[in-house]
Amino acid sequence: MAVPAAPLSARRPFLTMARREALGGYLMVIPVCLVLLGLVAYPFVYAIYISFTSRVVGDPGVFVGFRNYQFLFNWVSFNRALTNTVTLVIVTDILKFFIGLGLALLLNERIKGRGLFRSFILLPWAMPAFVSYLTWRLLFLPIGGGINLLLAAVGFDFGVIDWLGPRSTAMPAVIIATVWRGFPFWCISFLAALQNVPQEQYEAAKVDGASTWQRFLFITLPSIRHVIIVVTLLSSIWTANSFESIWIMTQGGPSDATMVLPVLAFFGLQSQRLGEAAAVSVAVVPALAILVFIVAALLQREE
Amino acid sequence: MSKRNVLSRRALLGGVAGTVAAALVAACGGAAATTGTGGGGTAPTQANPFGSTVPTATRPAASTAPASAAPASAAPSSAQATSAAGSATAARAATSPAASGPITSTGKMTYWGGLIFSDDANNLLSQTVKDWGRQNKIEIDVVMINQNETNTKVAAAVESNTMPDALDMGIDLMLLLSNTSKLTALDDLYAKIGAAQGGWLKGTEDATAPAKFGGSRNGIPFGVSGNLLFSRKDVLQKANVQVPKTWEELAVAAEKVTKPPLYGMGLALSNVGDGNLQVSVLQSWGGRIASDDGKTVTLKSPETKAYLEWVTGAYKKGLFPPGATTWDGAGDNNAYLAGQAVFIANTGSVAITAKANKDDELVNNTGFSALPSGPKMKISSFGPNVRAIPRGGKNIDAAKALLEYLSNPDFLNKYYKVAIYGPVLQNQAKFDAFADPIRAGLLDLAQNGTAPGFPDVSNTAYADFNNNFIIPKMVQRVVIDNYDLDRAIDEAQKAGEAIYAKYK
Repeated sequence: MAVPAAPLSARRPFLTMARREALGGYLMVIPVCLVLLGLVAYPFVYAIYISFTSRVVGDPGVFVGFRNYQFLFNWVSFNRALTNTVTLVIVTDILKFFIGLGLALLLNERIKGRGLFRSFILLPWAMPAFVSYLTWRLLFLPIGGGINLLLAAVGFDFGVIDWLGPRSTAMPAVIIATVWRGFPFWCISFLAALQNVPQEQYEAAKVDGASTWQRFLFITLPSIRHVIIVVTLLSSIWTANSFESIWIMTQGGPSDATMVLPVLAFFGLQSQRLGEAAAVSVAVVPALAILVFIVAALLQREE
Repeated sequence: MSKRNVLSRRALLGGVAGTVAAALVAACGGAAATTGTGGGGTAPTQANPFGSTVPTATRPAASTAPASAAPASAAPSSAQATSAAGSATAARAATSPAASGPITSTGKMTYWGGLIFSDDANNLLSQTVKDWGRQNKIEIDVVMINQNETNTKVAAAVESNTMPDALDMGIDLMLLLSNTSKLTALDDLYAKIGAAQGGWLKGTEDATAPAKFGGSRNGIPFGVSGNLLFSRKDVLQKANVQVPKTWEELAVAAEKVTKPPLYGMGLALSNVGDGNLQVSVLQSWGGRIASDDGKTVTLKSPETKAYLEWVTGAYKKGLFPPGATTWDGAGDNNAYLAGQAVFIANTGSVAITAKANKDDELVNNTGFSALPSGPKMKISSFGPNVRAIPRGGKNIDAAKALLEYLSNPDFLNKYYKVAIYGPVLQNQAKFDAFADPIRAGLLDLAQNGTAPGFPDVSNTAYADFNNNFIIPKMVQRVVIDNYDLDRAIDEAQKAGEAIYAKYK
């Protein structure tokens, strides 16, 4: 029996299965996109827009083109802040890497009280930042400060050393405090990565006669490289944006020896000049964006 | 299997669509209900704490406040009313909203008080504001704000439209907010309080003159602050040194008494507010930040160089305590309390802390005097602190009533006894609070001190200049970075020009 042919439109509806699935997918993604647009893209783009205006608190201002940036790049404090921020990020990252990895390797071994040490290692990171940096400020005090007292107690009585006073020691002092607070994150991240390295690889390498150093260089490091990259990226961003460490310890001084971009932006906010403050913050974005893209490219290449 | 998946997805999408639709209906319903309450195109209404609705734009003719609630205007002493009688200004003020009828508020009020070093003063202020709230059946939150952070908190609050109903601030911030019309004009209240209490002190009157603040009185002054010179009497006596009358004498005296860990000159040279005392010292040398019209930076001058030579010379002689270039706001206090500094310039907070610490030895060995003179003039700058009301608030009338209440003499006499402020009104000069020697110094400062910024013009560019700590940084360039004097001055001049150029 012949079945009458259905009209074409009835046989091929607009909402085919594939299209329905695609539409469903888009509908599911929309909430996430809206959240990202509202919470990430909008403030980011708005900050860029503000940086091109003469906005002050309570007054939207007018579009001034690159005037805020022109002011910044001719401002000696900005140039110093930029240099100091880069120095702080690079030096602290290097130190945190070596300290974090060294301690992670140690805590990955079967040692007595390993669990306790793993807990203790997190304390600097778990402590509120302002408490940490206030404590370091007290330790670095020239008179009655813990470090000078300690040096005197162990026989190195150099007299009154003003650690945060001269340019030569102010930035190293801030770096020490920043590293102290930041290394636990690196350590714990590396430790977690180390625990995922298959033991069979080490055993095979041992059988092949690889030394401890060779095993570290050719098995351990390559196995945790993804974690190293991600931790470096995150830590760099956090350090570049960190405010409380400098503010509590030196307020950017002495002179501009420890001035960093977030503190400089805060000074702009104190003067209620939002356009300038936004320009200071936005000025660091290209550098961080380049860092993010490099890391993303490295990760993609690995995959 | 495939069919079940399709149905499941449909069901899910249907559910999502249903939820969204329900949310939209609910949202529309809520909006309609809100609009309905206002109804008829009348002024928008909001629920008040007493359970009824009152128009926010105007005071209701028949108040819903309980009869027992004391009007704020009754709180000040009767002396106010007596003094005000017959005064045309007061008569005009009496018709102001703050003076008439019971006080109501729209929702909970918020007051930002300025946190100072005296816990007693902070508690008294907080308690008094709450008492006012209780008397008027108004719920009010008191948030004490560290004065070093007021600028940034206000900036965030203005941008997010979350300003409190009233707040304390310095006149620099009042200047910035007045320029953008963010404060309510309080001319009527200012006149009323002044008339009731013998008039405002001239220094306070001039410092808050409407011409500088957009044409109106945008704050009610409640206390002046400024620096006095605190010194260790015992150390000076032992070294047979007199209290210095000039900055140069101070450096000479400091040299005689400096014996590490005790240092003569406990003055901040860091990037904090205390570091800007150096602006006054520079001015006392004849140096100027800007020209008489307040528009052109004139920092580069022989006077500035002479000042810089003096201060950096003292630093290089080791007369400043170590750390003075990175001190925070409490650096000079801490150095003095720890017995590391002989002279400090301080508002009086150090004496309050020493008393609170029961450090009787230090209290008894502490002397104070006016700030020394420079070679050209004596700059003893003071700044009135004011209470202000943000423009566009929901409770402006209630906030005015609160500020009037906080200006009553009984409260202020008690407050001045525990705070570190000088008086602002003529009658306050007779308060027994100012019989105390240190507070007598603050009274002298309020009556005879130099106006904020003097001899420079205290405008927004000047405030921005100080917010960037250009003068302390100029000193730091020499003592930290070993710049020669001219190079340091050139850099400061250039930085100042860049700042002033923004305001032209």
